[in-house]
Amino acid sequence: MLQVRDLCVSFRTEQGEALAIDHVSFDVEEGEILGVVGESGSGKTVSLLAVMGLINDPNATITGSIRLRGKELVDMNPAQLRKLRGREMAMIFQDPMTALTPVYSIGEQIAEQITTHNKISKRAALDRAVQLLAEVNFPNPEDAIHRFPHQLSGGMRQRAVIAMALSNNPSLLIADEPTTALDCTVQMQILDLVRRLQRDHKAAVVFITHDMGVISELSDRVMVMYAGRIVERATKTEIFKHPQHPYTQALLETIPPLTGEKPDRLKVIPGSPPSLFKRGTGCAFAPRCKYRFEPCSKIPPLAGAVHKAACFKVHPHG
Amino acid sequence: MADVLYHARNVSKRFKVGTRFSAQGLRTVHAVDDVSLEIKTGETIGLVGESGCGKSTLSRCLVRLYNITDGALIFDGADISHLGVRAMRPIRAKLQMVFQDPSASLNPRRRVKDLIAEPFRIHTKLNRKEIAEKVAALLNDVGLLPDHGERYPHEFSGGQRQRIGVARAIALEPKLMVLDEPVSALDVSVQAQIVNLLADLQQKLGLTYVFVSHDLAVVRQVSTRIAVMYLGSIVELGPADHIFAQPRHPYTQALISAVPVPDRPGATARQRIILQGDVPSPINPPSGCRFHTRCPRVQDLCRVQRPVLEQKGGVSLAACHFPL
Amino acid sequence: MIWAILRRLGQMLFVLVGISVMVFAIFFATPGSDPAARIAGRNASPEVLEAVRKSFGFDQPFYMQYLLMMKRIFVTGDLTSFVNRGWKVVPAVIDTIPVTLSLVIGAAILWVVFAVIIGVVAAATRGRWPDKLLMVLGLIGISMPVFWLGSVANLLTQSRLKDTWMFSWVPPLGYVNFTDDPKGWFLALVIPWITLSILYIGLYGRVLRASLIEAMQEDYVRTARAKGLSETRILLKHALRTSLINFVTLFGLDFGALVGGSALLTEVVFNLHGVGKLTYDALLSLDLPIIMTTVLYASFFVVIANALVDVAYIFLDPRVRES
Repeated sequence: MLQVRDLCVSFRTEQGEALAIDHVSFDVEEGEILGVVGESGSGKTVSLLAVMGLINDPNATITGSIRLRGKELVDMNPAQLRKLRGREMAMIFQDPMTALTPVYSIGEQIAEQITTHNKISKRAALDRAVQLLAEVNFPNPEDAIHRFPHQLSGGMRQRAVIAMALSNNPSLLIADEPTTALDCTVQMQILDLVRRLQRDHKAAVVFITHDMGVISELSDRVMVMYAGRIVERATKTEIFKHPQHPYTQALLETIPPLTGEKPDRLKVIPGSPPSLFKRGTGCAFAPRCKYRFEPCSKIPPLAGAVHKAACFKVHPHG
Repeated sequence: MADVLYHARNVSKRFKVGTRFSAQGLRTVHAVDDVSLEIKTGETIGLVGESGCGKSTLSRCLVRLYNITDGALIFDGADISHLGVRAMRPIRAKLQMVFQDPSASLNPRRRVKDLIAEPFRIHTKLNRKEIAEKVAALLNDVGLLPDHGERYPHEFSGGQRQRIGVARAIALEPKLMVLDEPVSALDVSVQAQIVNLLADLQQKLGLTYVFVSHDLAVVRQVSTRIAVMYLGSIVELGPADHIFAQPRHPYTQALISAVPVPDRPGATARQRIILQGDVPSPINPPSGCRFHTRCPRVQDLCRVQRPVLEQKGGVSLAACHFPL
Repeated sequence: MIWAILRRLGQMLFVLVGISVMVFAIFFATPGSDPAARIAGRNASPEVLEAVRKSFGFDQPFYMQYLLMMKRIFVTGDLTSFVNRGWKVVPAVIDTIPVTLSLVIGAAILWVVFAVIIGVVAAATRGRWPDKLLMVLGLIGISMPVFWLGSVANLLTQSRLKDTWMFSWVPPLGYVNFTDDPKGWFLALVIPWITLSILYIGLYGRVLRASLIEAMQEDYVRTARAKGLSETRILLKHALRTSLINFVTLFGLDFGALVGGSALLTEVVFNLHGVGKLTYDALLSLDLPIIMTTVLYASFFVVIANALVDVAYIFLDPRVRES
């Protein structure tokens, strides 16, 4: 349903051209949960903001193709794109504390999204908001629509944001680290909710996170990003059982286990992720990679049939 | 039995919020409520819990960044609960704190070598050359290169900045280091580097740590003993392995089960306990057992009587009338 | 919400009493000076001094003097100016209030309307020519002193271009009572209103633009975009409402100060006998009862304006309602 091909996003800055996304291609299928995992600066958020058309920085250049159900989004005019946003595709963000306008009630903000895309009265939209809040397990939804964001806890605000995102039954929901700012018992409630709603609404979900644990809880397929490129893409089981790319492997190894034997020392990945301005001509992970060899001076393509990895060690001929 | 380096006895910290004239009047936040903790030389105590559980407040009380409301803090045999600024100064050298966001605690206009030299200038009478030698040694200890000293904090990545923060903290050879979420702001691929660095330094310098974090996997990795906090009190305290293998407090059990961990080959499926609702407000904590409002095993007694932290036949101590 | 407003009004009353005590203490209880001599004015005869002492109760304890003063200002209203030979102070001040209020309220309406338009248009066209043009105009407006602008306006409308079609409608300088002649009142004040408001239009337009641009970077604006709202709606509904909080704060301070006498320069230039001009004249002749009364009056308006701002907050920002 969503086809992204050769997406590039760069920003002109005072320190020069920063290439945030470099030729990223992926698909999202109907009704699946695609996990996107990566560290800060890996481009995971930027690539999906580009899908939503939410990069409105005059210094940004976006090239490539993004097709939602066959409609090309990259050069679509803003008014048309706006009609898709919040109806066909919706997005929820990391920090629920700041994601809602502080001066309007929850109900008003949900109703606003409904009335923007549908010709219904405000009263009917508010009734729908009550239903939606009930669906995301708000206690007392009739009362909750009159509440203001500051009166709710982080978990409750995130529920409100989710209810709002789902208000027009979007076919694509993009969730950008929606549980990172929450406590883990609350995170579990939200993950559970996302999974249930995804089933009920038959929406495709793209779930962005830096947490391998969250990815393994939720996703059907996983896409690992590093320094603006996709380095590995496969089903969840494949990624966790047979990680191919050295970065994915190392990432999984550095996480301390919660059960079983405690290692004396954690495995580490030396160094730190590269800066956006110093993208070399080779594999971006090479400087930190223990398998580095000659071919790594060129950029490895994402190769493989179903389980794809961008690494010359796995796919010597690209 | 190792000797006790730090003894926090019945420590409470209450904050006043609002004023007499505001709508709800003057209210009291019970941030830390009657917590007792013995920290033995050379061990790492992990403090875990969700936001608002008081773990950060407690850690700040331990180093006297906050003045405690009740109780006593005994460090290295001396009562430091109410020492003045001047009397605290020699003790501060031995009692250091590392914060979550390293960049916020480093003056951006000073070179790294000056930042690391600062503790020596304040607490010692070393001359310039001696200080320079110490700084060079410290840079090496925390895995930075000698020429890193000439640079400014903003030229470093998050992981390197945390190394600078650690170098400053260990400069005066402290006995106890309180680490408040030291790896939470770092990228996943960098966290392990800092965790290992801290473990190495502990071994090399014989440090004692209080490690505060919401990340249970990291806490399990570094800690000898773990204290689980909920709404200002310790609900379970015991050896790290036991806490994870056989939690005794229902909250600990739920907390551990809520951590999403990647499926590893051969790992057994874990049972999920999803707690309902949010953590109640510490302004108006529930009666009886603080956890009773969310506890899946709540009974009548829990609503009235507050359980104390006790052994009751298990390995770890649990504050629960009906431990698991 | 009602409770919050009532509480705010209660605080206001408390502040007002505090200010009146302080002002009274400064003027009448300063050690080493005889207030009677100052009230009586220069070269007063011993009889007058004696009369002053008696009428202000200077032979009684301090709190009695204060109560007497308050009674003469607020209850009987018979406080007398000795410098101006028996002029009743309270009616004199009351007479000036409509003049100042007419001037300031009219100017305030102008400046709020135009500042909001300028701020919103500039923020919406950020970095493009309408924004740049408006900001330059705003800066020019801020840079022109009111007395200069007023003099130029007078020069043009009262003399140079008085007989042309453009300004033939402008009446001679001075105030016309609204109740006597609404049309005359309006015409007499148009030029002063514009003169006084230009500075504030520039200032407020720039402030609003800055806070709108800041608000447009907020997370909730990104959420609003993700909802598919139009940029206009986001700007007017989500960003403007939060930005107005700054705007209202500033407005309360300036409005209170202007009503309290800061419109002095405009009043003098356009020969309007308002509170500012009265205070100014009283200061020149050291007329203590008038100064006392106008200072009290000014603080009264500043406090009221601030209380109104707080009430406005309560409507604008739900977060204030509880804390």
